[in-house]
Amino acid sequence: MSILWVTLSAALAIGIPALATAWAQSRIGPAAAASLAEKPQLSTTVIILVAIPETMVILGFVVSILILLRGQAG
Amino acid sequence: MIIPMVRVRVMGPRDRLPDALAVIQDAGMLHLAPPPEAGPLHPNALTPAENRRRRKLLRILDDIDAVVPDSTPAPGPQPAATVSDCARWARLARRLRRGLGRLDRRSAELEEELALLRRYQGFFSVFESLLAAGSPRPGFSAFHVVLRADQRDSLPSLRRALDEMLGQACETLERELPGGETAVLLLVPASRAAAVEQLLAQTRVQEVPVPGGYGPTLLEAVPRMRARAQEIPAEIERVQRERSELLSSHTQGLARARASLRDRLARMDALALTAVTPHVFVLDGWLPGGTERKLSSELERALGSAVLLETIDRAQWEGEDAPVVLHNPRLFRPFELLTGMLPLPRYGTIDPTPYVGVFFPMFFGLMLGDAGYGLLVALLALVLHRRSAPGSTLRAVAEVAGPCALFAIVFGVLFGEFFGDLGHRWFGLEPLWIDRGEAMVPFLVLTLGLGLVHVMLGLVLGVVAGARHDARHAIGRGLSALMMALIAVAILAALEVLPHEVLTPAVVGLLIAFPILIFLEGMVAAIELMSAIGHVLSYARIMALGTASVMLAIVANRMSGAVGSAVVGALFALLFHLVNFGLGLFSPTIHALRLHYVEFFGTFYSPGGTPYQPLGHWAPRPARTA
Repeated sequence: MSILWVTLSAALAIGIPALATAWAQSRIGPAAAASLAEKPQLSTTVIILVAIPETMVILGFVVSILILLRGQAG
Repeated sequence: MIIPMVRVRVMGPRDRLPDALAVIQDAGMLHLAPPPEAGPLHPNALTPAENRRRRKLLRILDDIDAVVPDSTPAPGPQPAATVSDCARWARLARRLRRGLGRLDRRSAELEEELALLRRYQGFFSVFESLLAAGSPRPGFSAFHVVLRADQRDSLPSLRRALDEMLGQACETLERELPGGETAVLLLVPASRAAAVEQLLAQTRVQEVPVPGGYGPTLLEAVPRMRARAQEIPAEIERVQRERSELLSSHTQGLARARASLRDRLARMDALALTAVTPHVFVLDGWLPGGTERKLSSELERALGSAVLLETIDRAQWEGEDAPVVLHNPRLFRPFELLTGMLPLPRYGTIDPTPYVGVFFPMFFGLMLGDAGYGLLVALLALVLHRRSAPGSTLRAVAEVAGPCALFAIVFGVLFGEFFGDLGHRWFGLEPLWIDRGEAMVPFLVLTLGLGLVHVMLGLVLGVVAGARHDARHAIGRGLSALMMALIAVAILAALEVLPHEVLTPAVVGLLIAFPILIFLEGMVAAIELMSAIGHVLSYARIMALGTASVMLAIVANRMSGAVGSAVVGALFALLFHLVNFGLGLFSPTIHALRLHYVEFFGTFYSPGGTPYQPLGHWAPRPARTA
């Protein structure tokens, strides 16, 4: 497989989840801030809620690295 | 761990109930339960007179709380408050509250006046100099106008309108203010003042009137305002001194009164948790296991054999009702800070603190995994420990940071990382185990394996916690754990990490276990199993964050050679390391917490425990200090 396709695939594997994470966090963040203003005791829940979408970009990062490593091996 | 509780019942003659409550309050051990209802027993409702007394107590306490912070300790032991004491404290608290309120209002008025004077002083100093330049004549009125920066363009049109209206009789002087506004002084014949005022209103120009009470004209008012602005700080200081003198002379007395009244209120509230007949009282409660003999002997010593304490058999009470007290070994106690961010676990379930105490620093260390950064975390922990008071939140943070730093240093040595590859460059540090910058797949497998162990541990804890109450669900959890182990074995056998011969038994085991799981817990069990597998994959974040951390550190080290000047390069590298260290503190903490709260606790944690709040003497709220 050409280096171009490997690089492009790796970029898409992390880029798309990064955009998805950013979009999700942009929706969660303001809601979380508003909730905290009314109920500061929700801070733990808020931390978890904000961290949850990061799973997407983290798994995207892992997949991207695997693609690059396989591309190098191939 | 959650301390085992015993349920006890205290009984005695009804007229000894107040004495019994006083002894129980002195002991400070019994968490009162709702009153038992059986046979002739009925809940002991407060009489109308007692309710009136209770409301009065609340009013006095409200007055005291308004003037004395509830972190103020009460000096010495509290004698029981008499009726005359209460009346005296009520009068004192009310008088003090009013007095302090009056002084606070006066102080606020003075602050407001000073702020107003300082705000207008800038305007009026300019107007004063304009007036001096314009030499006002008798029979002329002065208008002080301030144009905002965006209104400057309206000045020529205002001038034209004034010329049309008054001809040469109007004098206009202007000066720019430091904030970008323009001060304009209009001197017009007094006979046309009303028309000019109307014109200003039509053109929506802001006129600044001379503040009342300082004199009819600006020239008289400005010196007086200046003098007043100099007087006010001293006056504010005098009011504050009067306030603190008034407060300090009564703080100790009122703090003592509050402690006594709070104790009395707690005993009144405890009355509502007793059951009575015309001659007997009964109250139920929980004690930490092993303390029942102590309370029993204290009751006997104070009240003789008239009041009895008996232990209720475990089979007669529900575990869910018992209050929860966490008690962990000294090493794990700081980690109660992390479990305390969630609601308490229910009685009879598992306190996850010891597991958090092991896995949280381990995950943190795996993610940071750098001996240099680990040493910095240790340094921060040491500073925090020295600057915090024992028992404070900051002290707990320092004590959590210590093990995290230790794990980061250990993993840093194993990964051969000291500020990235700086250790290798400076003193030839080599990885003893895994090179995170190169061996990404082995590191990924390691983190997923750790995730598998962590999630399976959670499932096993779920089995242990559920075995007593819900055997069917507990078996389901156990079967899920077994299936996850079989899936791992099958994958490893398929990848030829394990002998190929174990693949078939593992798959057969899965095929047998799956229908049993569905039979026991329904289709939802299949979804939960898939979710548990997803949870294991989530541990890949340890590898992702770890790799990102080491890459950023390596990039930081290369900065020094990439920029022309060595000094600028070193500064860039230092800055980059600082940013990476900040990220290395924040991200591993958040993600290690998340792995615990979502992936680990989700398999066994049962929140909703009642905090243990024994009937005891009032204690001041801890002050918000380190």
